[in-house]
Amino acid sequence: MVAAKKTKKTHESINNRLALVMKSGKYTLGYKTVLKSLRNSKGKLIIISNNCPPLRKSEIEYYAMLAKVGVHHYNGNNVDLGTACGKYFRVCCLSIIDAGDSDIIKTVPGDH
Amino acid sequence: MVKFLKTNKAVIILQGRYAGRKGVIVKSFDDGTRDRPYGHCLVAGLKKYPSKVIKRDSAKKTAKKSRVKCFIKLVNYQHLMPTRYTLDVDLKDVVTADSLSSKDKKVTACKETKARLEERFKTGKNRWFFTKLRPPKLIAVQDPIDYLLLLSYHMLSCTGKACILSSASSDEI
Repeated sequence: MVAAKKTKKTHESINNRLALVMKSGKYTLGYKTVLKSLRNSKGKLIIISNNCPPLRKSEIEYYAMLAKVGVHHYNGNNVDLGTACGKYFRVCCLSIIDAGDSDIIKTVPGDH
Repeated sequence: MVKFLKTNKAVIILQGRYAGRKGVIVKSFDDGTRDRPYGHCLVAGLKKYPSKVIKRDSAKKTAKKSRVKCFIKLVNYQHLMPTRYTLDVDLKDVVTADSLSSKDKKVTACKETKARLEERFKTGKNRWFFTKLRPPKLIAVQDPIDYLLLLSYHMLSCTGKACILSSASSDEI
């Protein structure tokens, strides 16, 4: 019970941090651009939704392993991740290029 | 945040005639050129892998089985799957951007890369590079090496190139 409460709190804080990134930072949404950002080493943090197809998830994780970039598995599906980004479409994966005012890159990759 | 599409990186070609083949990046053009305004790289790869050499083979047979056939190609980054392996064979002086300009330059470059890759194969190093990308039999993957094979195989089968891989192995009907 305590663990569930704790994840809810951190989950909300991730949402808050993500909202701040959307407002002040640079990001890309979507599988193709995430891979592009990893290839040209611009991406700093990758967030993947939980219903991302496993092959695609493995591929992004492999690229991130090569690029030494953190990957965060978002606790929600692509609909939730899209909502967290403030968009009206689904987002399966996103890459944060510049965090802006947010501290998401420092605080999030700890839990993977 | 580390650039990984660098020279000497082993990659797997995903699209085109050479899909499923392993190659090594010789020169990368991250920002593209006038003709190709996208990130691409010059890849030297194996068109034909060397066959399995066994202890019983005579010297003549070993020499015949260790032959490789190479290709040189400019490939878009999107059509490559980078791996965690590297192959440090010095091909920079042999394979250059202008060796693709005419047919005979390409042929001489291919011949030279063939010689260098064959001698690397004969030393027994970089064994992963010289083995064909086989479709994995088990779905449960523990080994990180197999993980990449599974990944690449599935990616190739998504694009319909699995037929090339399955025709190579005779035990799959």
